[in-house]
Parts: sequence; C-alpha cells; structure tokens
Amino acid sequence: MALLNPIYTDREVMLDEVITLGEEIVESRNLEVLRENANLNGESFSGKMSKFGSEYAKWYAEHFVMPKRLVQSIKDNIVYVHDLDQYAIGTTNCIFIPFDKLLREGFNTGNGSVRPPNSIMTAMALVAIIFQSQQNSQYGGVSANKIDFDLAPYVRKTFSKNLIKGLEYFEEGDLDSTNVGEISMSRSDLQELYPKAFKFATKETKSETLQAAESLIHNLNTMSSRAGGQIPFTSINYGTDTSPEGQLVIDSLLTATMRGLGNGETPIFPIQIFKCKQGVNQAPDEPNYSLFLKAAECSAKRLYPNFANLDAPLNLMYYKAGDPDTEFATMGCRTRVLSDRFGRNHLSGKGNLSFNTMNLVKLGLEHGIVLGQRKVADERGFYRELDLYLDIALEGLLHRFNIQKAQKAKASDFMMREGVWEGGEHLHPEEPVGDLLKHGSLSIGFIGLAECMKAMYGKHHGEDSNVYNKAYELISYMRNYCDRQSERHNLNITLFATPAEGLSGKFTKRDKATYGAIAGVTDREYYTNSFHIPVYYSISAAKKIELESAFHGLCNAGAISYIELNGNARSNPAAFLQIIQYALSQQVSYFSINHPIDRCSACGFEGIIGATCPSCNSHENDVHIRRLRRVTGYLTGDYQTRFNAAKQAEVRDRLKHNT
Amino acid sequence: MNICGYYPESINEGEGLRASIFISGCRHFCKGCFSPATWNFNYGDPFTKEREAEIIDDIKNNPLLSGLTILGGDPFFSAAEVSAFIDRLRQQVGPISIWIYSGYTFEEITENPESPEYELLRRCQVLVDGRFVEELRDPSLRYCGSSNQRLIDITQSLILGKVSIWQPTFSF
Ligand code: SF4
Repeated sequence: MALLNPIYTDREVMLDEVITLGEEIVESRNLEVLRENANLNGESFSGKMSKFGSEYAKWYAEHFVMPKRLVQSIKDNIVYVHDLDQYAIGTTNCIFIPFDKLLREGFNTGNGSVRPPNSIMTAMALVAIIFQSQQNSQYGGVSANKIDFDLAPYVRKTFSKNLIKGLEYFEEGDLDSTNVGEISMSRSDLQELYPKAFKFATKETKSETLQAAESLIHNLNTMSSRAGGQIPFTSINYGTDTSPEGQLVIDSLLTATMRGLGNGETPIFPIQIFKCKQGVNQAPDEPNYSLFLKAAECSAKRLYPNFANLDAPLNLMYYKAGDPDTEFATMGCRTRVLSDRFGRNHLSGKGNLSFNTMNLVKLGLEHGIVLGQRKVADERGFYRELDLYLDIALEGLLHRFNIQKAQKAKASDFMMREGVWEGGEHLHPEEPVGDLLKHGSLSIGFIGLAECMKAMYGKHHGEDSNVYNKAYELISYMRNYCDRQSERHNLNITLFATPAEGLSGKFTKRDKATYGAIAGVTDREYYTNSFHIPVYYSISAAKKIELESAFHGLCNAGAISYIELNGNARSNPAAFLQIIQYALSQQVSYFSINHPIDRCSACGFEGIIGATCPSCNSHENDVHIRRLRRVTGYLTGDYQTRFNAAKQAEVRDRLKHNT
Repeated sequence: MNICGYYPESINEGEGLRASIFISGCRHFCKGCFSPATWNFNYGDPFTKEREAEIIDDIKNNPLLSGLTILGGDPFFSAAEVSAFIDRLRQQVGPISIWIYSGYTFEEITENPESPEYELLRRCQVLVDGRFVEELRDPSLRYCGSSNQRLIDITQSLILGKVSIWQPTFSF
C-alpha cells in the first residue's frame, strides 16, 4: 500500500515506535493498554498475542491508511475512532442474526454442515454455535432480535415428539398423521382427546426447554472463543411472542437467568432485553403481562433484562403487526438499526458498520465561559468547529466504508456464505461485499453533553431550562447533520448516544492534562455518558426520565437511559415496575434500572450490605462481599444529597436493621 | 418538632417509590435500636415552615411517587404535629397514601379513640407496628426489622375492629 499518510517520514522514528509497542506488550509494561478491554485478559498469552495484532494494526492504520485530518483530530482529542484495530482490514461492527433462517435451513460453520434441529435442546445449542461463528466474522456485538419467535418452532417439535411418546405410554390412541395438522401446545382439541399424553408432553417440554435455556446461558458465559480469549458479545431480545411455545422460551430464559450460573452468580452474558409492547405485555389483561412482571423480577435480581420500548414513536414508525422482525430490538449496548433508506426496515440480516464519537466537552471548553476567557459563550465559534469535526468524523466513516465494501465475501466467510448478512449468500467468495453493506448504518456518536454545557454556560442541562434548550438544540443540530448527509451520500448515517464509558475516561484524562481539573467539567474520572444528566446530580427519577426522554427521539442510532436506585430493588417490585412503566410512558426508547446487589460469601445473604453483613454479622475485612454493579464505569449515584454522608449512613443503617 | 432525615425518593420504606421523613424523638428505648441518637427530641433540624413547604413541593412535583412514609424515632410521640402536617400536605397535593412506623402496637394506639395518636393513625393507610425485638431480628423481612413487627392495613383494620395484614400488590 502506498504511503497515504506519512506523518512520520523518519523511518527510524517509526521503527522505534514499533519496537516499543512490542516491548510494552511482551513485558506487560503498559498496563493501560493491556487492560483497555475489561473483557480481555491482556496479561495472558492469548491476550498478549491479540494485543500484538491490534496495537500494530492501529499503528498501521494511523500511519498508512486513515485520512490525515482524522488522525489529527484523534490526536486533538476531539474525535474517537472505535475499534481502530479493525479499520485497515475493513471488518464490520455488529449484527442482528436471522436465527429463524439459519435454524430452518441448517448452516455450515466452515468445517462441517449442521442439520436443522429437531428439538429445543439442539436448537438452543446451535444458537450458541451460531453466535460464536458469527462473532469471528466481525468485531462488535451479535444479537438475536426475536429469540422467542426464532425458537418457538423447536419447542413445538419437542412437544410433538413428547405427545407421540405420551400416547404410546398411556395407550390413549394413535395420531393419524395424515389429517392431524400441526401438533402444538395450543391445540385444545388434542388436549381434550388425549388428556394424559397432553399433560405429560407439556411437562416434559417445559423441563426440556428450561434445561436448554440453562445450558444456553452457561454456554454464552463460558465459550472464550473470541480474539484473546474473550467471550462473544451476545444479546438476546424477547417478550412479544404470544404463542404458548414462544411464551415458554421467554419464561425459561428468565427462570434460568434468575437461577444464575453454577454457584448462583449473576450471568454477565447474554445481555437480555425485554421488548415492551402495549396490547401484548403491558397491562394485566394482555397475553404476556405475566412475563413482563417476571422480567421485572429478573431485572430486580440480576440487573437484566433491560427494557425496549416498541411504542416509542421512532420505533413504532416501522412496526408492522405480525412481523416480529420489524419490532425494535437492540444490541445490548444500545445500537439501533431499524430503518434503512433502501427499504430493509427490519432488523435481522444487518447491523452497524462503524461509528466515530465526538468529544463535545473539548469543544465546549474551547468556546465556553468556564475557562474565564469570555463572559458569554462563543456559540458561533463552537458550531463552526463542530461542523468541521462532524465533517472529519464523517469523512472517516465514509473512508472506512469504502475499505469495508472492497473486502471479499470470503473475508467474513460465515456471515456472507450463510446469509447472516442478508443477501451475502448470493455472493461468490471472491466477490467484494460491495453495495450489500449499504443497508447497515454509519454512526456519529457523542459523549459528555452535560460537561460540554457546563463548560459553555456554567450549568448543565439538568440544572437550568435555558441550558436544557441549548443542549437539545445542539443534539438536534447533530441529528440534522446526519440526516442531511444521509441524503447527500445516499447512505444510512445516524446519530448515536455513545455507550463507551471506557472512552469517556480516556477523553477526560487528556482534557484534564490540558486544562487542569475544572469543577463540574474535568474534575471527575469520566465524562457523562452521551446526553445523560450526570449521575452525581441530585434529581428525582421522574425528572431525569423526562429530561432525557426527548433525546431518545433524536438518537436514531440508539440511546439508553438509566435510573440509579439506592436500595434493595428485589424487595420492592412495585417501585421497580412503576419506574419502568413511567419511562416507557415518557417515550424513552430503551431503559434500565441500576441498583446495587451485594452477596455475602459467608452466609449467602443477598441484598444491600454495608461494612458488615446484616444476616451473619461478618465484616467485609474478614469475608469477601461480592458487590455487583452494572459495569457503566460509574459508581451508584446518590441523588439524595441533602444530608451529609455520615448522617445518611446512620439513618440508613438504622432503617435496614430496625423499625 | 425536629426531623432527622428526609429522602425525596426511596424504595426501602414501603411499597413503591416513596418520600420518607424521619421524626426525631422516641421513648421506647428498644434494646438493639441502631440509632439511639434519634431518641432525643432535639436531634436533627427543626421542621420549619420553609422545610415543610419544600418537602410538600417535592412530593407535589414528583409524578412517580406512590406516597409518603413517616418514620422516626417514633412519630407517634409527636402525633398532633404530624397530623397537622399530613392535613396541610393533603390540602396541597390531594389524596396521597401514607405509611407510618411506630414502636407502639396497633392495639395500643387504638385503645383510646379520643387520643391524638388515634387521630394520626386514622390519617394513614399502612402501619408498621411494634417495638424492635433484638432476638427476633431478621434482615430478610420486607420493610421491617424484627419478626414481631406487622404491616397493617389501617383502613381495613379500623372497619373490622381487628388487625388486618396489608398485602403487597406484587409478590415477587
Ligand atoms: S421504636 Fe424504633 S427508634 Fe424507638 S427505640 Fe425502638 S427501635 Fe429505636
């Protein structure tokens, strides 16, 4: 390849850099690099091996591949290119897998072909294998957007087998296979004719489905098959299939999740998302309401599932009753790829291609009042620079898209050959994937709206309604930019509320080095996630939801809102449900509740544990207290700051143990 | 009257998301009480009109709240004042569910229907009653500390003339 970007012309300098890169990895010198990804053990052999690859790949991309302006904007700490190590080779980001198709038709992993499954047990085992195979064709998340619908047919098969077996056992008769029609759990006629066999088949099917679900969740937490021994980033969405078989899939997944792993630990994967839809699972008289309650219970115990809102306007737009593939679902982190300007307004068979994130805080610092250089924020200057960097971020996405398009189908073998990416099955292995990728999305993300506002105007958007309007204007402006560029380039260019908390720390560290610790801006370890109201800011749950909800409509590449609950959520289901349904009613597109879960290793007590376990009085210095928090990079926020910490602790302690 | 704690939103003191106010002062002196400091009626800060207005405002502006919980100390030692506060709160926010905690039992409070304690009780919906008994302490209990304590549906109990236990809306 030609020297596209010879920033360092001096070969010796480059050689030095490459050697240092290698040495740091071999000697585990730069822990920051080795521990960049919490999912990967960077000090293990396989972790180091993969670091060699990825660090050099980044270096190579920056020196020889990427547009010069993009490299400069990374150095300026304004734009961040996610998964830079994949840039040069043209890998794509994430995907929703058409499990229905793959299971129905069977598939080939490259080493052998797999027949369509005949039972739920095998089907769920294959789900894990498909996730794993697909994970090696891309770098981001792999998601099942409607696993209940995808797996229901195999519950039916299992039931059918069991019913036939039951008929034999109980000698209740024979099914005339020529005119019996499809055997299913909803056939009340069969239930009347063969009550014993039907009961037997139902019971057997339930237990097999639960076992299958348990092994699926175990599998997804143990198969370290991804580069450097990582576990695939799996997500499963469910909640709307109202057939008895679909309901059983949902119910079993929830039960298995609540039971937890081997020692009852909370499973980290898959990320689970319950899809909420009025008329289906939101009111007591709706068919899947009890499953919604169970999902809330599971979430109160295990932090998952999160809740997707199919009735939020931006999701409802594309919803077609009877076509579950048009139901909004997400890659657990929040990606949204529902709409497609080329007509594939459904989920499975496509995904996000790549995204670049903007550091809004730095632009705010440069043009705001907080550094004391001006009395009034320089909005014109801010927007001028914003435009410039949006252009650079986009240029990067388009440039990368061209590299991705040029890749041969065989490079993402499983994904294309098996048609996991819709249409890939029609390509010759040597053919470039080309235009097929245009159905995916290219996204511009952002981070630190709160700190940006603070830097610009002295207050963030949770503190002041004028600033809130400014914040909303800014994000609308970015969305308009994406919409305009979509038209101009005839591609799906979308706005993303970036989830990367790791990244937020990186931006912050460098800005802090440049500007010092500025109160409310650079004085913490991290920048606030996307458009969120800072977790440390005292605000009611309802208000936080209301303020954030408007932004969900703008972020068509995905967004999530969280509420932090301080207390034992599992003992107060009413509160949990109330908050979820309030968020849904406010048109939040994707929602979850964070709450602390502690577990005493001495007695197994689970709940909130201070320094000593309320159950057995063990002290944290003597026994291990496992403190589970959602990995957002944030501590559990305390929105009740009117009393000092000591006083709070005092009242709270008294509460926990006393009247 | 002093208050020694206030949470605008909490999930620990009753069903749903609730505001909680802690009233200073208690003469039950239960063995094992984790916060004997609250026995003192002068503990905490005076419940001024301004503070009261702030709290009423918070409650009025929070569409997510299921109600208010009043704890202590023991609010029944300041029964008349607490009743007056509840009346002013209801005037401004309309009907609102109130949970109240006491070291007294339901039977003790209802002994004399002329008393300010009875007046306070009939203004509330759920009573968590009884003193804290160290030997009966059980951290797995929902909303209370020892197993002698009961969650009582006040309205039902007053109609029936005997204790009727409150039932949670959801039971997971
Ligand atoms: S009633 Fe409550 S506050 Fe009063 S002494 Fe007993 S435990 Fe302590």
